Amino acid sequence: MDKSMTWKVGLIIAVIALSIWLLWPLDKKINLGLDLKGGMHLIMEVVTDEALAIQSDMSVTQLKGLFKDGSIKYEKIVRKGFSKIEITGTLLDDERKIKDILDDDFRDWTYTAGGSLISLALRPNIEQQLRDQSVDQALETIRNRVDEFGVAEPTIQKEGMAGDKLLIDLPGIDNPERVKTLIKSTTMLEFRQVISGPFLTEEAALKEYNGQLPEDLEIVKTNPRRLDKGFYVLKAATVVPGKDLKSSRRAQDEYGAPAVGFSFNSQGAAQFEGFTAANIGKQLSIVLDDRIESVATIQDVISGDGIIKGRFTVDEVDDIVLVLRSGALPAPLKYIEERTIGPSLGADSIRKGLAACLGGLLLVVLFMLVYYRAAGINSILALLLNMLILMGIMAYFKANLSMPGIAGIILSIGMAVDANVLIFERIREELKAGKSPKSAIDAGFKKAFWTIFDSNLTTVISAVFLFQFGTGPIKGFAVTLIIGITASMFTAIFVSRVIFDLTYGRSKKLSKISI
Amino acid sequence: MYLFKEVPNIKFINKRYYAFALSGLIILAGVVMFFTRGFNMGIDFSGGTMIEVSFQKNTSVQQLRDSLKKINLGDAQITQIGNENKFFIKTMASLKKLNLKNAVKMEDVEEYEIVAREIRNGMMNAAERDQLVVGKIDLNNTAEGEISRFLRDKGLGDEDAQASAQIVIGLRKSKTGIITDFSVLEKAGVKHRVMGILRSLAFLGKFTFLSVEFVGPQVGKELRRKAALACIWALIGMLVYIAFRFKFLYGLSGILTLAHDVLVALSFILFFRIEMSLQVIAAILTIVGYSINDTIVVFDRLRDNLKIMKKDNLEAILDKSLNQTLSRSIFTSLTVFLTVMSLFLFGGEVIRPFAFTMLVGVIAGSYSTIYQSCAWLKVWEKYFLKRKKS
Repeated sequence: MDKSMTWKVGLIIAVIALSIWLLWPLDKKINLGLDLKGGMHLIMEVVTDEALAIQSDMSVTQLKGLFKDGSIKYEKIVRKGFSKIEITGTLLDDERKIKDILDDDFRDWTYTAGGSLISLALRPNIEQQLRDQSVDQALETIRNRVDEFGVAEPTIQKEGMAGDKLLIDLPGIDNPERVKTLIKSTTMLEFRQVISGPFLTEEAALKEYNGQLPEDLEIVKTNPRRLDKGFYVLKAATVVPGKDLKSSRRAQDEYGAPAVGFSFNSQGAAQFEGFTAANIGKQLSIVLDDRIESVATIQDVISGDGIIKGRFTVDEVDDIVLVLRSGALPAPLKYIEERTIGPSLGADSIRKGLAACLGGLLLVVLFMLVYYRAAGINSILALLLNMLILMGIMAYFKANLSMPGIAGIILSIGMAVDANVLIFERIREELKAGKSPKSAIDAGFKKAFWTIFDSNLTTVISAVFLFQFGTGPIKGFAVTLIIGITASMFTAIFVSRVIFDLTYGRSKKLSKISI
Repeated sequence: MYLFKEVPNIKFINKRYYAFALSGLIILAGVVMFFTRGFNMGIDFSGGTMIEVSFQKNTSVQQLRDSLKKINLGDAQITQIGNENKFFIKTMASLKKLNLKNAVKMEDVEEYEIVAREIRNGMMNAAERDQLVVGKIDLNNTAEGEISRFLRDKGLGDEDAQASAQIVIGLRKSKTGIITDFSVLEKAGVKHRVMGILRSLAFLGKFTFLSVEFVGPQVGKELRRKAALACIWALIGMLVYIAFRFKFLYGLSGILTLAHDVLVALSFILFFRIEMSLQVIAAILTIVGYSINDTIVVFDRLRDNLKIMKKDNLEAILDKSLNQTLSRSIFTSLTVFLTVMSLFLFGGEVIRPFAFTMLVGVIAGSYSTIYQSCAWLKVWEKYFLKRKKS
């Protein structure tokens, strides 16, 4: 064996060793896709319009405050659409002051003033930024929730061209309804002061105020599962906002019933302490998702932590705790696609996928052996190595093996030997033209190279478009195809050649080859 | 072994009008089909609910339809899978159709979910429904975590509950996905004490949902656009690449041959009412990338022959190139055909539409390479040769 042969063989052995190392142990390294192991696949849209609306509402409040501070008169400040604000009824005298405010504190907005109407619009780049942020934040929140729920190996990622969709794959998930509610929950915990109540109906509550509720009050429903059905009048502003909640845990009340325990951070604790000190004897409510969960009379100054009592089940407590811990969603979510695959379907698909793989391999092997005889063995070795490399690379990239992925592997089997067919046919042609076996092999590989390169590249090009376009499993198909074809460039051209050289290299006078 | 002992000498080019006519007829029939009957759209594209269900006992499509009629879903598309007791149920129905009373407007997907629940209820018999009402669980339709939680609630330890649930799910991984008798559980190693609980507090439903899928309508709209775009871009990609590696007219001929393959595949999808889904689009894109391969092989040879055979006329050169590469064209396609055939036969119902589309595409691709790619060059002979000379 000459020197160049030594490094070629060395390289091949190294590739084999690397692939095996990447693949070992097989069941740990090859991740099955959802369609093969069962589970739930969700695609949801983050309603980013709502996130913008929330942002705009905050700006409206801020504007009102600034106008009040600067004693600027106005009729109305309202949000229009998702990202526009209209100010009406301002006086000409205040124009300077308003412009200063808008220029200083509202740089994210463009504004046009015409008569007594001033319209503000969020700058497009800021708008996009806010949309992106809300998607990122939603992704983070959902990841927290899914992790806390204890799903093994979930996939959570952005999806779609606009980037406002989230893909969530939860393998082996056992309770779709519960997980879905959890993910989507916009649960916010608020502490709000009770002004009066309970009332049986909303009308009864309104009557207390002669049908005209003051602006800083609000009528809120009770959650009938925890309290008697009814309504309370609450202060609209919260005592402590949900973000000052430091932690939340499962707790028990004095009778041992499940309850939600919580603690504040230092800022929240200070605020809560101040409030309770000033309001001893008054009532305080705990509001979750705009429903009153609990109403209690403040008997003492409370600071650090407390519990929410109610007729909770353990699962309910766990879910509330989980949601409170994971933080709030920045915008509502909308499910647009959901697929639940049961355990038996996946097992069946694996069996069938394997059968199809083996069947395809067998047919191709038979054909190559019958038609190309000894050279067929060569191509089969190359093909097996191709499969090994393909699986090794998939393991390295932690790619999921899905049913379309298996289809991709099967196709790769058929396509990988194409290169061998092209080379062998060329060698036969050269032999027929009277060349010696050695130079025929040489010419066969050389002349077929560019043809193989061209035709493989076109397949890769369309697979790349497929990757761009497809979702989940289809991407898996495109990936296996691309890897399989690329690997075949190495195995069918390089490895095949080395095998030929090894088989026929030693005999000085080669008169006949089996092809 | 050789397919041809000597290089064959088949006249392909002078049969080009027959070939064009044959392809034209197939594609025309496809177009007519498209406008009269349209594609059989899967839920990927149309949106809706798709359920795969497996029954314990022999069930016919008619029986299944009758039970769905009771919930106003008699027109759902029901397909039997092979000759097993498995069926696909597909419907685009919304709540309105089901005449549900407190049907409030909600998100489409949530709506589909209720549709699925209604279908489940509709398929159950009275005895099964009664058992659910009294709080029993259906071991054929309950998920692992739920079973284990249920057993824990009934006083079992964590370990026993989990192990038993695992056995149940393990048994459901069988071919039918269904457990037929409690004795099977016992044999599989469920403890005696647990069996007592299961026998009294659980039952074995007559069917199981193997998969449930909902797709909202807006997904399909975006997908249709994206699929069309991906196909067009892939075709343009091929055109540019071949035009770059060869010449523009080669690229144009290649792309026409490819468009032919895609249209023929689509026509056959229409003829056989194959469900249009993401995987069918994947197959079509794969055809675009693959069936150009043997065309490239021919063009490669053609380019060489044009240099060698300067005296011959174009038709002779084209025929010669086709004949020289004929065994290559056939065998490269054959190897892929064999593997796709295996996928079609053994890969199961889920992947069959993909395999079908690929089968048609591979055959069409091989045929069009031989009968059309070069024929197009002949059609443009004037421009093709002029370009060559200059």
